[in-house]
Amino acid sequence: MSLSTHTTQSGFLLPSIHSAPPFFTQQPNLATQSILTEQWTRLILAYARYRRLFILRIEDAETTGNEWDEVLRNERINRRILPSHLSHILASMVATNVAAYEPAKQTRTVLLYWRLPEEWAEVLHNWATSTAQLNTILTFYDITDPPIESELSGIPLIGVADGEGVRIFAGGR
Amino acid sequence: MHRRGGVGLAAFDRQEQSNRSFAQLSSALSQSQVEHLHSQLNQFRTALARFASTHRESIKSDPSFRLAFQQMCSSIGVDPLAGPRKGGWWAEMLGMGDWQYELGVQIVDVCVSTRERNGGLIEMTELVRLVSKLRGVSGGTITEDDVMRSIKTLEPLGAGYQVVNVGGRKMVRSVVKELDEDQSAVLAVAQQEGGRIVEDILVQRKGWTRERARAALENMVYRDGLCWLDDQDEVYGRAYWVPSAMQWDV
Repeated sequence: MSLSTHTTQSGFLLPSIHSAPPFFTQQPNLATQSILTEQWTRLILAYARYRRLFILRIEDAETTGNEWDEVLRNERINRRILPSHLSHILASMVATNVAAYEPAKQTRTVLLYWRLPEEWAEVLHNWATSTAQLNTILTFYDITDPPIESELSGIPLIGVADGEGVRIFAGGR
Repeated sequence: MHRRGGVGLAAFDRQEQSNRSFAQLSSALSQSQVEHLHSQLNQFRTALARFASTHRESIKSDPSFRLAFQQMCSSIGVDPLAGPRKGGWWAEMLGMGDWQYELGVQIVDVCVSTRERNGGLIEMTELVRLVSKLRGVSGGTITEDDVMRSIKTLEPLGAGYQVVNVGGRKMVRSVVKELDEDQSAVLAVAQQEGGRIVEDILVQRKGWTRERARAALENMVYRDGLCWLDDQDEVYGRAYWVPSAMQWDV
């Protein structure tokens, strides 16, 4: 049996480990599991980045027909990741700061940091600079739904009340 | 009575004189021998240098030429792979030491980077394939033989790189770990099965008891990390996979 990479319908290139049946089983050997967790983490972040997905839920492993199907399942070898396994991986991702439980105080939904918050800040600032909106007051809506699609299009807003806005200043002196 | 040295005090002088001339003669003789050897060595060196410079590229790029060259070297008692320290001018001239070290580094690279998925055991053909991939087309073809030689040059590092025979197949082990008999048997069967193995296969093919099969497999999962568990197997529900017996494209 040869394990090869696979291009999904959405055009994402799955790594060869995704076609290995034991990849979908939580390993009892902790050292082995940490390898798998690392691979899963990398895969989830890469896919999220590719499809601009910000949220991953445990439910995504429980049901079919969602945007995570291509990664959480492999129909070609008839395997899927079990919710308990996914939950373990999410916990590890939160622990390593590449994801955060959102909202807090639950463990079934995470916000994925396929860019770190600092990197997002950089992206935001660059966007404001390049679109000449420094020092302008922007609503969050302006940022998430700009007339010209930006890297920030569709970014989820956390803890924001209606009508709030920001003003981005030019960086230090 | 006639004595060769004669008698009397003069005999001492005479004997001493003849000793001296013998010594002179012997040193003259050995000096000429040394000179002769030197000139021979010089000749050999020049011939070798010429050979090396004309064939260096073929030695590096053509595996069968390299093998023939290595055989020739071993028949005249020269080790072309001896490092710069041990082999001196010989290794320097050919650049063979460097070539071999370079290959050694690539072998370590592949072994270490695949260790997490195969538990430190890689099949020889797979290793050759991955090293070749790493070297790219310009690196020339390499053979199992080259890999074996390079692994030997890694020995002084004490990293435990070793070629082991598992079920008639060569595997390279990059962790210091002894394989017991049952594990070797499991690996051999896994290779025939493309990596997947279940208790039943061991019971049927090896005539093991179910307990022995389970113990061997569980040990490989829990203790050694040589096996991965798959609890969604269609037939048995619980199957074991040996990553080092699976063929990975990346």
